[in-house]
Amino acid sequence: MSSPILEGRRLVKDYDDGRVAALRGVDLTIEAGEFVTISGPSGSGKSTLLHMLGGLDTPDSGEVLFRGSLLGSAMDLDTYRSQKVGFIFQAFHLLPTLRAVENVQVAMLAVNGRANHRLERAMALLDEMGLKDRVTHFPNELSAGERQRVAIARSLANDPAILLADEPTGNLDSVNAARTMEILRGIREKRGMTLVIVTHENEIAMSAPRHIRIRDGRIENERAGA
Amino acid sequence: MSSQLSFTGFAWKNLRRRRLRTLLTLFGITMGIGAFVALVGFSRSFEHEWLRLYQSSGTDIAVLQSSLFNSSIDESLGAKIKALPQVAAVAPLVFNLIDLTPDVNALVYGWPADSYEMDSLQFTSGTRFRAGQPEVVLGDLLAQNLKKKPGDSITILGETFTITGIFHGGTALETGAVIMPLGQMQNISSRQGKVTAFHVRLRPTPTGESYEHYVKTVQMEIEALDPGIRAEAAAERAGNNQIVDMAHAVAWGTSSIALLIGIVGIANTMAMSVFERTREIGILRALGWKGRHVILLILTEAGCLGFAGGLLGIIVGWGALFILSVMPETASVVSVSVSPVHLVESLLIAVGSGLLAGAYPAWRGARLSPVEALRYE
Repeated sequence: MSSPILEGRRLVKDYDDGRVAALRGVDLTIEAGEFVTISGPSGSGKSTLLHMLGGLDTPDSGEVLFRGSLLGSAMDLDTYRSQKVGFIFQAFHLLPTLRAVENVQVAMLAVNGRANHRLERAMALLDEMGLKDRVTHFPNELSAGERQRVAIARSLANDPAILLADEPTGNLDSVNAARTMEILRGIREKRGMTLVIVTHENEIAMSAPRHIRIRDGRIENERAGA
Repeated sequence: MSSQLSFTGFAWKNLRRRRLRTLLTLFGITMGIGAFVALVGFSRSFEHEWLRLYQSSGTDIAVLQSSLFNSSIDESLGAKIKALPQVAAVAPLVFNLIDLTPDVNALVYGWPADSYEMDSLQFTSGTRFRAGQPEVVLGDLLAQNLKKKPGDSITILGETFTITGIFHGGTALETGAVIMPLGQMQNISSRQGKVTAFHVRLRPTPTGESYEHYVKTVQMEIEALDPGIRAEAAAERAGNNQIVDMAHAVAWGTSSIALLIGIVGIANTMAMSVFERTREIGILRALGWKGRHVILLILTEAGCLGFAGGLLGIIVGWGALFILSVMPETASVVSVSVSPVHLVESLLIAVGSGLLAGAYPAWRGARLSPVEALRYE
């Protein structure tokens, strides 16, 4: 019997002093181990919803709960982001001055731990991503696909329960996009993690067991995918 | 494998990415600390030399009128001081800072030929001057700068004197000084019958009494002889005369301005750095870095700049002090003695300046919203 790992209750978020309504009362429950995709047109509020679920931003009203604990009160957002969720972004967001292996370790600096353990773990994760011979490369020396795989390794650094990916294939060619999706599915299956992907690509959206379509800040429909 | 990432390693990489800017900032703080080390070191060394001047001659008390520059005491007071039972010896003196050549000035003293202070001078060549004769002795550093030797003559305030000896003094103040018979000095400075000060050497401290208490008692007895004079313990006198006070004030004032410029430089660098790295800070926040981690990172960078600038500043400041100690214009009052306390103080000020300068940028960085910072272009 699965249990909710993440719940969004009546989430409302406005921008520009209320002129732009990004979310208009979204209710959402995600079970532990689920693979969920969220899609919708540009400006529909899908990334905003992902930011709320990941503790990157706070709703104007409504609440987000992780395993029943209210984010921002029962659990502080920094701890939540560093230990419970891993983020993957469309633009990779690697630090340009750090080598691949250092980019993975930087996530672990937020959590107490031994330096040699951090290095070992970063090396193991990059190895898992097929980047064993790229560990000392800087981001500008890596292909887009390789950069996204470093970012995926970084998202796993603190062994989170949930992976949140915002358009993870948006900057990739079809070959690398397919490989990235394969890796993400593999991670979820191997580790039993919860995976939430925001995407505008229909094929990816429909490939998940559960697909949520969002429009104008509201959930338009929900259905089982492939 | 050398790609282990530590907090300080990360800070170091951030400093290295903008090498020119980091170097220019370092230059700023280096100059600030260098000025601090050199100027404050200069004024302290000056004070130290005064103290040594008293100590090397065995002076316990200095008797003056109102101030060092204006002090003018009747020479006859010396006999009254000498009559006090605790007083072993009294040395009247007249002194002034006088230009010997357009480039070289020196402290010129008038001492009695039999002054007990003469005993602390070690003559490297020649002999003492004779009472009442137009003769002088020169400190070895001054003689070297002026290229003079016994038998040569020297003109002081329009009067010609024969150099009878070269001495090695115990202090930079003495090694760069000229000493002549008291009467001659009174004549050339038109102070007949007057002296600048009396130096007093006391008899040994009575058993059971502290030196400080003993000196204090005699000070009061001397001051009771004439209401217009002050008697100061030599150690106090060294740190409490107007020249030293002025040197301290100039040193602290100038080096504070230099330090302020250095601090503004670091603050500017750190503010620019945080501004440029807005998105990167957003990434760190998205990865779960707490505000305090961001503050720590930025303060580590600022503190490292301060520390490195402090070390370089100490080298630069010490070098400047060394140059001052060999330049003819300043050699008479400066010795290259920078105390470890002053060095530690300089380093602490440098690191403190760095942290102070980094505080606002760090606070600003910590307050960035992750999602807004990630959107930042």
